[in-house]
Amino acid sequence: MTTASVGTSPQRFGGYGRVTGHQKYVADIPLDDVLHVKLVTIRPAHARIISIDSSAAMQVPGVAFVMTPADLPDPIPRYGPQYQDRPVLAVGEVKYHDEPVAAVAAETKEAAEEAAKLVVVEFEELPPILSVEEALAPDAVLVQDPSIRSGPWVETNIIREYDFGWEDVDALEADYVIERDYKWPAQTHFAIEPHAFMAAPDGDGITVWSTIQHPYQLQKTLATVFDMPLSKVRVIAPDPGGGFGGKQHPKLEPLVAFMAIKAARPCRLILTLDESFTLVRRASAEIHVRMGFKSDGTLVFQDYLNHFLCGAYADTGDRIAAKASFLSAGPYRTPAVRIKARSILTHTTPTHPYRGFGIPHVSWARESCLNEAALALGIDPLEIRLKNLAHKGEEHVPGDTPSDGEWEQTVRKAADEIGWHTPTPPGRGRGLAVGVKSGPTTGLSYSIIRLLVDGSVMVYAGTSDMGQGARTVFAQIAADELGVPIEQVSVVSGDTAIVPYDQQTSASRSSVLMGNAVLFACRDIQSQIRAMAARFHGIDEADIVVDQGIVQLPDSKVSVPDMAREGLGRLGGEIIGTGEMRKEAYPEHPLGGTAAFFEFNCTAFEVEVDEGTGEILVHRHVTVGDVGLALNPVQVRGQDDGAAIMGLGHALMEHIIRDDGGRVRNVGAIDYRIPTSLDLPEHLESFKIENRDGPGPYGVKGISEGSLLVTAPALAAAVTDATGVFIRDLPLSPERVWRALTEREQA
Amino acid sequence: MQPFTYARPQTVDEAIALLVEHGDDAHMLAGGTDLLIELRNGWVHPKVVVDLKRIDELAPAIVERDGFLSISASTVMADIVADSKVQRYFPALVEAADVVGSVQIRNRATLAGNICNGSPAADTAPPLLVYGADVVIAGPDGRRRVSVNDFIQGPGRVDLGPAELLTSIELPIPTTPMGSAYARMTRRRGTDLASITLCCGVDSAGVTRMAYGSVGPRALLKLDETGVLADAGASADAKAPLLGELFIDASPSPTSMRAGPEYRVAMLPVLGARALQKAIDRLAEAT
Repeated sequence: MTTASVGTSPQRFGGYGRVTGHQKYVADIPLDDVLHVKLVTIRPAHARIISIDSSAAMQVPGVAFVMTPADLPDPIPRYGPQYQDRPVLAVGEVKYHDEPVAAVAAETKEAAEEAAKLVVVEFEELPPILSVEEALAPDAVLVQDPSIRSGPWVETNIIREYDFGWEDVDALEADYVIERDYKWPAQTHFAIEPHAFMAAPDGDGITVWSTIQHPYQLQKTLATVFDMPLSKVRVIAPDPGGGFGGKQHPKLEPLVAFMAIKAARPCRLILTLDESFTLVRRASAEIHVRMGFKSDGTLVFQDYLNHFLCGAYADTGDRIAAKASFLSAGPYRTPAVRIKARSILTHTTPTHPYRGFGIPHVSWARESCLNEAALALGIDPLEIRLKNLAHKGEEHVPGDTPSDGEWEQTVRKAADEIGWHTPTPPGRGRGLAVGVKSGPTTGLSYSIIRLLVDGSVMVYAGTSDMGQGARTVFAQIAADELGVPIEQVSVVSGDTAIVPYDQQTSASRSSVLMGNAVLFACRDIQSQIRAMAARFHGIDEADIVVDQGIVQLPDSKVSVPDMAREGLGRLGGEIIGTGEMRKEAYPEHPLGGTAAFFEFNCTAFEVEVDEGTGEILVHRHVTVGDVGLALNPVQVRGQDDGAAIMGLGHALMEHIIRDDGGRVRNVGAIDYRIPTSLDLPEHLESFKIENRDGPGPYGVKGISEGSLLVTAPALAAAVTDATGVFIRDLPLSPERVWRALTEREQA
Repeated sequence: MQPFTYARPQTVDEAIALLVEHGDDAHMLAGGTDLLIELRNGWVHPKVVVDLKRIDELAPAIVERDGFLSISASTVMADIVADSKVQRYFPALVEAADVVGSVQIRNRATLAGNICNGSPAADTAPPLLVYGADVVIAGPDGRRRVSVNDFIQGPGRVDLGPAELLTSIELPIPTTPMGSAYARMTRRRGTDLASITLCCGVDSAGVTRMAYGSVGPRALLKLDETGVLADAGASADAKAPLLGELFIDASPSPTSMRAGPEYRVAMLPVLGARALQKAIDRLAEAT
């Protein structure tokens, strides 16, 4: 008998290796006879490539070859998660700063680096499209060649345009209408492990090592690009060193694979942190919002125009624009809503998913505007939210999944914890904001579990464990369901040749979707155990109950591992269970599927603002998330605290700075600042609401993104409370706050 | 990493001989916190790296000598922060040394290197200017002494010949009471390069010394001898124009990513007034 593991916090699987430096990341895996790859890039964000001359680079001792577009199939293969628009190497022109134009393979890293500098790329610099205005101008240069696109927007820089909403906004009368513009700047993921890719020919197939979050999607992409069966493409994806969405989809793996095939040798490309800055980024957005209220604060309508700047290739930018915009109006009951959203091409690094998936962008606009409206109407910003918040079971977006939690409880908890109803200490300000994000709209996860004859367990689950602790919670579920100590459970992931399919590690899905697959695989074993017990004891299966590791017979009970050992007999062996969890698509739904669950969060701040310098001192930062159930409370706390701090970085200091030519100026850690331990709030507290009302095992909901959804608007509201100024751009740098304070003095 | 020869001279003369022999191809290594970055980024390509850490004369030491506190060339920031003599006489230097880089950097980086690097944002430059520090330089023609104010010239430029090296930094020990304080402006509270570095010193004669950096090609030293700034009883309104006068030569870069020029110029008197008040308070405590 074991005690229940779910709900406790056993030591994290892989945690010791991660913090002691023993974990093997992609870059730590040695391959014999390997060639080192270095990318050849040019500085402009937009330039026509005239010629590529490799002759000087080839003279560097140890250089094997220089891969150029001429060495690739014609037309050059393209790929991408939504649209197949990203070429293996830049074709004809570069469309963003540091887009690879060629790549050197050499016997040593140093030779590759030296030779990459000697590849002469002749080019003509062209003006880049960087803003919404430039992209939508009638005579705008097209970022993408219409011949590689389809659909009604091919002759524009719009990837796609969306119209969401319900009822007629224009038909309703409001007592008070407010209209504002908000901006969210581009940011970078800043995973401590930069992206890394290796490839090696493997008989009539290929093996690829990648820091990718979605190994099965990479397997599919490579199979398509190289016209191989899936069974001949093996992706090995060790636990990533942080992902935050930035490692979701295939990036430079096809290039490295082409190079490995050309060389008939393994090839290895380990990016620097600086190179990761121009490989992936977070979307920037400009959001125009109009809200109408009754004089008592009841929402009448919400009206949005959302522009998401997605970069030179669609990647996931368009999906982010769509999914986030769909939920622009938030968790509120609104009689009429109109949302127009556009995903837009620019000459910038392609947008990749980023923790929050666009919800922080739309929430920044909505919650800030709502706060400003509450103040104008003389209504408490807490009360205006409670007044309009959807109750459990109520549809906040008609036709989508209704509210799946006691959301008021979450908001009231945050208000209580920040002391909303107590006097604010002199010189300080308080603010709060409410965020909601849809979980995955589709999903497919498989798990295989082997209960071995000695009572130990192997769980095969293809979730990428990049720090969130996925393997630990899967082990906890298996330990409880099969009645074994967690120390006897191993969890295997990160190899498509061994572990069954998982659609993605994203959207805070894994505890719910893979968690259910693991649970179902355990139940499969339980049902085999039941049949085994019936045979073994000569009794009817209907008289046997197997649950939580115990086989309950009519007049006795035995543990699942003991029953397995008895039943398997002299030859031993094992019992194999399989689990499948599907979240089906709904083609008629605007997003292709309803939300599996919602991540709901309320964040509150108490701050002080230095009136001389504009610096914000965060005294208290409170987040409350509706988690359904904390499978592992320490890991939940880790995710919530981590996301809160990440959100604080976006709110206070992080932004990509580009020059007029579209080049990223703050590449690297020196001039792109993220919070350090000294930048943390004096008090940071994460709380959770647990009503066991989620769709995952035992009522769990996804977490991991909740506490960064509304960091910025909550913080800005506290700054407003302290100073009276409204700021609608980010980050809330001392300089920006000072400027607002200066304008307040002048007004 | 690029190839180079590594030399470890035992004496200052041996080091100078190497510098004479290799000229610009030789680079000196003390803490290495600048050199290693330059090497990694391919900004420098030395043929010889001359490690100064095995030279007895330059070994870490902070000693009182002839009315000066002498800090040897390989003394690291962490040692300066922890030294009771520096704490007693030069508290603003402690405050500045304590915010250079991170803990790891401060355990390696030397005060000498911070000054020789010639960065306009060097944290320790303003206090050294306020305290009237000198540097002692050894070269093929012997030793010479020059004030820090003359030593630092512009971005990456200091008064150091190709075969010269800095052996120590010497701060005159104040003979009359002085109050001083350091202030800086950064983008975050953790490790960061400053967008303003500033030090203010006030003495019992009523002279105010204000030095500031990161807002122009080099750190500047300005004096107010009216006695108004140093007067604890003078109003902020009376001090404002005099403070403004001290910062008139600030010329922050218009393209810096750390902060806009308008903001930097506006912050100088804000930080200046705060450091001044702290210096006045410290002077009062000392007398």
